Amino acid sequence: MDEEYDAIVLGTGLKECILSGMLSVSGKKVLHIDRNKYYGGESASITPLEELFEKFNAPPPDETYGRGRDWNVDLIPKFLMANGLLVKLLIHTGVTRYLEFKSVEGSYVYKGGKISKVPVDQKEALASDLMGLFEKRRFRNFLIYVQDFDEQDARTYKGFDPTTDKMSKIYNNFGLDKNTQDFTGHALALYLDDSYLEQPAIQTINRIKLYSDSLARYGKSPYLYPMYGLGELPQGFARLSAIYGGTYMLDKPIDEIVLGEDGKVVGVRSGNEIAKCKQVYCDPSYVPDRVRRKGKVIRCICLLDHPIANTKDALSTQIIIPQKQVGRNSDIYVSLVSYTHQVAPKGWFIAMVSTTVETEDPESEIKPGLELLGPIRQKFVSVTDYFEPIDDGSQSQIFISESYDATTHFETTCLDVLKIYKRGTDEDFDFSKVKVELGEEEQ
Amino acid sequence: MATNRSGASQRPNGAPQTKVCQFKLVLLGESAVGKSSLVLRFVKGQFHEYQESTIGAAFLTQTVCLDDTTVKFEIWDTAGQERYHSLAPMYYRGAQAAIVVYDITNQDTFGRAKNWVKELQRQASPSIVIALAGNKSDLAAKRMVEFDEAQAYADENGLLFMETSAKTAMNVNDIFLAIANKLPKSEGAGGGSAAGARRLADGEQPRSSACCK
Repeated sequence: MDEEYDAIVLGTGLKECILSGMLSVSGKKVLHIDRNKYYGGESASITPLEELFEKFNAPPPDETYGRGRDWNVDLIPKFLMANGLLVKLLIHTGVTRYLEFKSVEGSYVYKGGKISKVPVDQKEALASDLMGLFEKRRFRNFLIYVQDFDEQDARTYKGFDPTTDKMSKIYNNFGLDKNTQDFTGHALALYLDDSYLEQPAIQTINRIKLYSDSLARYGKSPYLYPMYGLGELPQGFARLSAIYGGTYMLDKPIDEIVLGEDGKVVGVRSGNEIAKCKQVYCDPSYVPDRVRRKGKVIRCICLLDHPIANTKDALSTQIIIPQKQVGRNSDIYVSLVSYTHQVAPKGWFIAMVSTTVETEDPESEIKPGLELLGPIRQKFVSVTDYFEPIDDGSQSQIFISESYDATTHFETTCLDVLKIYKRGTDEDFDFSKVKVELGEEEQ
Repeated sequence: MATNRSGASQRPNGAPQTKVCQFKLVLLGESAVGKSSLVLRFVKGQFHEYQESTIGAAFLTQTVCLDDTTVKFEIWDTAGQERYHSLAPMYYRGAQAAIVVYDITNQDTFGRAKNWVKELQRQASPSIVIALAGNKSDLAAKRMVEFDEAQAYADENGLLFMETSAKTAMNVNDIFLAIANKLPKSEGAGGGSAAGARRLADGEQPRSSACCK
């Protein structure tokens, strides 16, 4: 450990592992440390099952749960958008070679107490029970507009200026009613709340395009999920970092981030050892005095021995409960994965209900989500603060990631990573630095 | 080289094409025992006296031809993550074969090899085929680990065993060939992917199971 590094990365959550990989690929000498003896931090998948029960102070699972080692339970629920940033990062860095994925089978939206499939193309829109006949036609026209929209080609703007016109104006011009706006903004554009309505429409249009481009890639739904759980993702990027020379130490307590006289970081101390460095990259848990609370998220892990009703017995699915449907300001998300992803023994399902906390009684906030699940064999609730850094790190050269938010996918995760990389290195990540011939498969 | 990439060629009496089976093979062992050198010798036929610590290889592939089967190895190197005991579970995941390497001139590395075997028995699939390689056999003059001692240990634990030299190429192809022979090659054997799982790459097909025609 007593060496000098360009960068020391603390914590092996997904964001830190992607950063570590990018820094190593760019030729930086990286030391990557975690205080835990396992990879993944908050983005780990917990295994065996006994460990999960212990983590939540529950009595050990009985034999009906099968072999504990067959379980890999995520702590934070997220899916990958098939055409999203994380998939691009995986493919460009070659990390995809360590992983396998399955498409999520269906995407549903909650309306008036029941769930309906999210309509994504013109055909589905016409068949959907979410809208009346005339509304369907209006929605279809809106979808055609979005599909034909090309940011580079002003002719496709068709009388609007999406860079300045608000999204609410576009909705009104297509005559979409509040219900349709609701599932469009929340189930297709995947906004957490309604503030997007007053923002330039271009963001929303691009989000809907991301949704439909993702859907076009593999069918069924726009989402992908990795075999063996989300915890495989940080491990894959950690391996990338190691392959490019990064040094890994797990189970290593961090006692101090050492600053020089000018307030810049000079090293990291563990016991009597100090590793010198020019920069530190870390998650908020390593620098409690350099972050502030941004909000709270509630996440409830539910173990089920059956699929969710009205989803055609899908082995994986997402259900979005738009805020307005249940009188809230932020959406409730339900995600479901199962034995088909090797995260549970045969016959078992793992559901997660989550949302941004708005009241003093977060558990009752997620009730509408829990009620969709049917009988729950075991429930684990966690309410966690999420943090953001108090500065951009340019003074201290300590670059801190934000905690994982309540969004259901990795887009904000990747944007944070790319921003941090740029702050730390003053340049955008150059994907061409990944040497293509290395470890290339001859097929 | 004993390996052969054109295994699926003509065969007498009109027999069908050979079967191609793909297996994940992982390397384990202390730093500097020659894990990467063994792979480099096997895959590229090269040897570098001053091989740097592993940088750059995600995994390499090489095929071995048996009578009626072509065995394709996907070979994973530790990328140095063994140094501070920080190998990720992903490394062992789905591995159907492992080579545990020690240096015959260094008794400590043999002790550590035994620990790696235990780790594999704990973490990896129960049906994994493990080979023990006593590397640097060209340095027999400085030998610290006796052949018989290692052979006895291997026999007790059901491991394949050979002394190898990445430098002279002695037994390098042979140990991979021995593993290929021992791996189950029946239809659907081995780990491989679950049905419907895919790798992400432009235009890539869902990955086939470990054994297919």
